Amino acid sequence: MTGATATTGLGSYILFSVSGTTYALPTAEVRHMEMIEDITRVPNAPSFVDGVVFSRGQVVPVVNLRARFGFDRVPHDLRTRLIVVQAESRVVGLLVDAAREFVSIPADAVQPPHEALAGMSGRYVEGVASIGDRLILILNLQRILNFADPLPADPAA
Amino acid sequence: MSQEGAPLDEISFSDFLDDYYAECDEHLMGARRLLLALETSIGRGPVNRSVLDELFRHFHSLKGISGMVELRAAEQLAHHLEDYLRVLRAGEAEPTRDGLDALFAGTQTLEQVIAARRAQMPLPPIDAIGSRIAQLIAMDAAPGVAQPPLADAASRAPLGARRWHISFSPSQELMARGIRVDTIRQRLAGAGEILSAAPRVTADGAIAFDFVFTGRVDAATIAAWQGDGVQIEPAEGTGGIAPGAVSDPLPLDTDSPVSPAILAPSHVVRVDLTRLDDLMRNVGDLVISRARLGETLGRVERRLAPAEWRSIQENVLALDLQVRTLREGIMRVRLVPVGEIFRRMPFVVRDLAGETGKRVRLELKGQATEVDKFLIERMMDPVLHLVRNAVSHGIETADERIAAGKRPEGTIVLSAVSAGDVVRIEIADDGRGVDATAVVARARAGGLPVPAGSPDAATLLSLICAPGFSTRELSDRASGRGVGLSVVKSAVDELSGAMYLESEPGVGTTFILDLPVTLAITDALIARAGGDTFAVPQGSVREVIEVATAAMLQVERNEMIAYRGGALPIVRLSQLFQTGEAARDRLHVFVVGTGSGALGIAVDRIIGQREIVVRTITDPLVRVAGIAGATDLGDGHVVLILDPAVLARQMRDRPSRTYTAGGLGR
Repeated sequence: MTGATATTGLGSYILFSVSGTTYALPTAEVRHMEMIEDITRVPNAPSFVDGVVFSRGQVVPVVNLRARFGFDRVPHDLRTRLIVVQAESRVVGLLVDAAREFVSIPADAVQPPHEALAGMSGRYVEGVASIGDRLILILNLQRILNFADPLPADPAA
Repeated sequence: MSQEGAPLDEISFSDFLDDYYAECDEHLMGARRLLLALETSIGRGPVNRSVLDELFRHFHSLKGISGMVELRAAEQLAHHLEDYLRVLRAGEAEPTRDGLDALFAGTQTLEQVIAARRAQMPLPPIDAIGSRIAQLIAMDAAPGVAQPPLADAASRAPLGARRWHISFSPSQELMARGIRVDTIRQRLAGAGEILSAAPRVTADGAIAFDFVFTGRVDAATIAAWQGDGVQIEPAEGTGGIAPGAVSDPLPLDTDSPVSPAILAPSHVVRVDLTRLDDLMRNVGDLVISRARLGETLGRVERRLAPAEWRSIQENVLALDLQVRTLREGIMRVRLVPVGEIFRRMPFVVRDLAGETGKRVRLELKGQATEVDKFLIERMMDPVLHLVRNAVSHGIETADERIAAGKRPEGTIVLSAVSAGDVVRIEIADDGRGVDATAVVARARAGGLPVPAGSPDAATLLSLICAPGFSTRELSDRASGRGVGLSVVKSAVDELSGAMYLESEPGVGTTFILDLPVTLAITDALIARAGGDTFAVPQGSVREVIEVATAAMLQVERNEMIAYRGGALPIVRLSQLFQTGEAARDRLHVFVVGTGSGALGIAVDRIIGQREIVVRTITDPLVRVAGIAGATDLGDGHVVLILDPAVLARQMRDRPSRTYTAGGLGR
């Protein structure tokens, strides 16, 4: 899926944190980042969707990654960011606690996720990389955005 | 241009400039059209004299009006073009390929000069094209009849004519009589030739125009003109001519009509779009007043005799109909034919084909198809881009085409057809088609995610429309500019349109744009429910009523009110959408749907009415039944647009109050 890691030896990633854990997405999938402003709630949308915002003239849904991973929501602060990602023709905003780092991760530093690691966000993790003493969970964007995927609260799966 | 910005009470110079630019547009457009006509006739026998005449008049007018705004570069260039046309008209030369190219190039530069002046940018140089034309004139004109340069224009006065200094001071009184500087200019142009024209600010801060004019003017004419605010006096000298100089006829014989664009009675009125917007807002106010009137009438109904009440009701119904007709009428005024953007394209194609050395024919279809003015302005760039794209990437060179067994000349068909609320624009070429392998390779190299397997048309389209994608390594000046088709895609998205691709290798490529005719803007009522704001398209609302919560009846799990002799089911938006509810004893209710499908949607209150730009919501995560789209009320905050028809249908089909997510509203 993540072509950047598959075809080259070094993948470029953007790092962000959600509830104290560091996650990564390939920069190729990230359009831009924004400070978060007013979000308009959309009635009857999935529970992990906070609503919609305008981003560069487009109506973009806001996926709250805390909610998506089964953590409690927290109030927005100055570090809260909206990472606007593109998956095929879809453009979606991911709400994260903080994001500010780009890193290059060698393809061979990425391991498949360990069984024991399959926690709340486990099903969205594609690989695990350790950079120094830091553990970075590389996410699979498709799975995060997949509507049909069971919600984290669902004990099945 | 020292006058600019000077305080002018009656006639503002900037208004005058606006007129100037508008008039330039008309003449430039006319000139382009004629040049294209001329081009098709080259080498096919004698050139139609009337085409040359008309072309000449366009340049002549451009020269005249440019002089009046002191845009000397434009004046001079138009003068060169006019001079060359003069030679062609005199039959001294046949228009050649070179000559025509020079005319096209000159027209293009002229347009750039005027556009630069308008944007207050530095003017592009005109010397190169000027001397190119001068050279052609020198080559084509009969020996010894070299055309004098602009500075000597005054010496080209016809024999027997005199030179005059004329000055005109516009005033409100003259304006009231319909006499403006244009009137005077036309008069002068009809009686001879204007050699120069310039505005100036008089000592008392008013504006005046000075002309140097040559022509035959008798005493009666002078007297008549003087009555119209014109001061006229003979200039020194008699405009004598160097012997043997001018052999061409007067550009505009006194008995020949002046520019048809000026004198022909026009059935078209140019209206500033903001004035239409104002009108639209006024109609909106009228709609709200009508709603208030309804409320008031409801309160007094019981106190009136039935006959009186009936007659009031009849009047109110008539008023409703009139308001609707007025609204639709104004919407219709905003519709303009897509020809407005199409007719610029032949010129674009011609220029680009010339640059790329290709042979391209452009066919236009369905130019009369009408779309909203709002859209046409925003459609221009995407269409332009796709047409350029078709020339530079779609159509092959003549050699390549011959090798592929095709006609050497490529064809691009630009068509528009409307179907209901959608106008479909197609840009079809018979070129090489999209090379899927190259697109995939390029996308991979650019780090774009590419699905496995051979891509279908939709995937190809999304790849070539990805930001930063371009199959050409070098962004060529034609369509590339480093932005690619992503700008087209985002422009189409912004208009709530859709874009499709059809392509067959070796056969051709078609880009299809489906755009809303007027849907992108609509009038909406803005309502509050709980803490949230919603927009409700006015077209779907039959009536707005105010209801006391005490008057709402609970029937099983539904609420109803008595309405027009029956019962109207009510759904409270605050409950439907769980917005939280402020305790209120009166609610506003939108009545939507008819007959058994009628439904009342209750909101806390209506806070206004306005024109909104509808943006679609496409992502499945937030595509929710009953929400038609989103809009921005000017503060960058998203306001959701309700889809009352879907809400009413759901109410009817599913009497339960629970709504689940993921129903596809539209």
